[in-house]
Amino acid sequence: MNRSRRRNCNAVNAASLARWIVMTAFLAVAGLSYVYLTLQLYHLGEHRKAIENELVTLRAQNDIASGQITALTSRSALQRRLKEGYLTMIPISEANIVRLTIPARSTDEDAIQPVANPSTTR
Amino acid sequence: MNPNSRGRCVLVCVVLIILFSIFSFRLIYLQAIKHDEYAGLAAKKNVYQQIIHAERGSILDANNEVLAHNIPVETVVADATHLNDVDAIIELVSRELRLPSEQLGEKLNSGRRYVVIKREVPAATARALREKLRANNLRGIYFEDDATRIYPNGSMLCHVIGFTDFDHHGIQGVEASMEEYLHGQDGYRFIEHNRAGKEIVPYRGQERAPRDGYQVHLTIDLGLQNIVENEIDAAMHQYSPQKATIILMRPQTGEIMAMANRPNFDLNLRSEAKPEQMKNRAVIDMMEPGSTFKIVAAAAALNERKVRPDSSIFCENGLWNFGGTALHDHRTFSYLSVREILVKSSNIGAAKLALTVGDQKFYEYIRRFGFGERTGIELPGEINGLLRPPRSWSKISITRIPMGHEIGVTPLQMTVAMATIANGGNLIMPRIVKSITTPDGKTISSLSPTVLRQVISPETAREIGDALRGVVSDSGTAAAAAVPGFVIAGKTGTAQKVDPHGGYEHGKYVVSFAGYLPADHPEFVGLVVLDDAHTSKPELNYGGLVAGPIFSRVAERAARYLDLEPHEEIRKAIPVQRVEKSTPAERVRRTAPAERIALTNASRN
Repeated sequence: MNRSRRRNCNAVNAASLARWIVMTAFLAVAGLSYVYLTLQLYHLGEHRKAIENELVTLRAQNDIASGQITALTSRSALQRRLKEGYLTMIPISEANIVRLTIPARSTDEDAIQPVANPSTTR
Repeated sequence: MNPNSRGRCVLVCVVLIILFSIFSFRLIYLQAIKHDEYAGLAAKKNVYQQIIHAERGSILDANNEVLAHNIPVETVVADATHLNDVDAIIELVSRELRLPSEQLGEKLNSGRRYVVIKREVPAATARALREKLRANNLRGIYFEDDATRIYPNGSMLCHVIGFTDFDHHGIQGVEASMEEYLHGQDGYRFIEHNRAGKEIVPYRGQERAPRDGYQVHLTIDLGLQNIVENEIDAAMHQYSPQKATIILMRPQTGEIMAMANRPNFDLNLRSEAKPEQMKNRAVIDMMEPGSTFKIVAAAAALNERKVRPDSSIFCENGLWNFGGTALHDHRTFSYLSVREILVKSSNIGAAKLALTVGDQKFYEYIRRFGFGERTGIELPGEINGLLRPPRSWSKISITRIPMGHEIGVTPLQMTVAMATIANGGNLIMPRIVKSITTPDGKTISSLSPTVLRQVISPETAREIGDALRGVVSDSGTAAAAAVPGFVIAGKTGTAQKVDPHGGYEHGKYVVSFAGYLPADHPEFVGLVVLDDAHTSKPELNYGGLVAGPIFSRVAERAARYLDLEPHEEIRKAIPVQRVEKSTPAERVRRTAPAERIALTNASRN
């Protein structure tokens, strides 16, 4: 009795089963990973596109701001505002001008030459 | 197996082999030989080449002040097949973009699929329109990124800077001549769209980044340009000439420091400008230079050692019959030295100086001074001027050309000729472009001064320069051109206007003054030209009385701007009030009879 039961019973090959389970699990994980990573790729692509658009917008805003600054500080604009009275110009007095161009001098003068006006005149 | 069965098997195998060979060859043909063609056809279905536009380079002055730059704008377009509610779209878009709704309706119902509704729409306006379209669920209107060229200084330096067309190609001024550097190179990217028209970023293909245009730095100093523009405006207001030109140039390097013409136009409103306003008369307009051209005759005679500065020339007491035609001086002169011929601007003296060197040699000197050929400045449309070869000269040409008749020169050529005297005899190529840099400041090209040739010896240049100092003195023709504190050298010119139908126009003159400052070590050469100036009295319409004072004011302000050291000894020699009209008028009245004679011959100093 025991001998025949043992003979008719199919033994489970645990090692083989484990190998199949691992392989199947690996394939499943690989497939899911592939799907996940592909979705991530699309998602990051969308994100990249959004950042690129944002960058373009920021650049455009920067260019517009630079253009406005240039227009407002251009010589023509400043002169117009000067005429309108929004700006005034105060002439620089001679005493406040520091001349870096040293005037020609005779050879008998001292070697050391002042390059700035004395502080008392400032 | 019997032989018949074997034969059938072989036959079947052969048929199969042939069949699969045909399939294989077809496969190889499609996959290998026709790969590119079919791959291209497949790509056309989904892959698009997206152009990434390069930004046009800026134009800056010598001190890096911006003269031309870009700001982003948008072009509003419509796809007529995508419009879902035409009436609502017309109503909304025409209101937001301030367009007549009838005009917009005509555009959208024109039958074309791609319709440009409006260009150069500010980003803020485009954003507002986009949001309203979305809120009202209106479809079919799209926005394309673009850029527009902005000129912050409006009309200042308009002829030099020039402008661009709709496609951002320069069509005038530096915008045109430096197009190659300013334009940049567009990039591209191959992209794929999904069914909704959105880009599938992971499928991006080959990509090339755009190269933005280079920055062009001009030699123009906007501070000096501002001085010149103010003075030319004042001259236009005072004398209402038909045309006017002022040029400032550094004689040692050929750098153009300022250049202004009238009439002018606003670069930001260029579509409203008339063609006459757009001409850069400094390089494309031709004039008879008048007496300023006498420097060429004197330089030729002195350089050839035919005369010395103190050589005495008989000036025929103001009337000389040569070749059967009378040549007049504006006053009666008997004997004048070469120096005095320039100081007093004797036509007869200048003619005799040219005769000493002869037709051919004189012609050679004229050419050596750069007349009759383009100067080579980086501005489009420059003309050669008009100089006939000696074989085409009449018998009296040798006496007329020295006083600036029978020859056409551009204001720039005259400035360059005066610069040749100022820098010691070298003909220098005028330049308006200082350097070309990348947007991040790396220098691509830096243009250095180009000496074309030694025209006259330094000694001759000095001798001519000495004589030209006398012109701006009490005994000369341009006392009003003097600048307090500085020694000036210069020459006046007054030429009757050439009538396009032949002969000269009565009572119309081109007055000019070309000079440099300081005379010893010139920092700049200046030229003032007024075409058909209107003075309170006709006898006041002289180069020395009209152009001279303008030069004086420009030179004085420029000297202050450049911080030139005044010459102490003559600090108060000639007061500024000298430039007022009253004093020259008295001078003219005293000499009126002699000048009337000169007028008949269209030759005044």
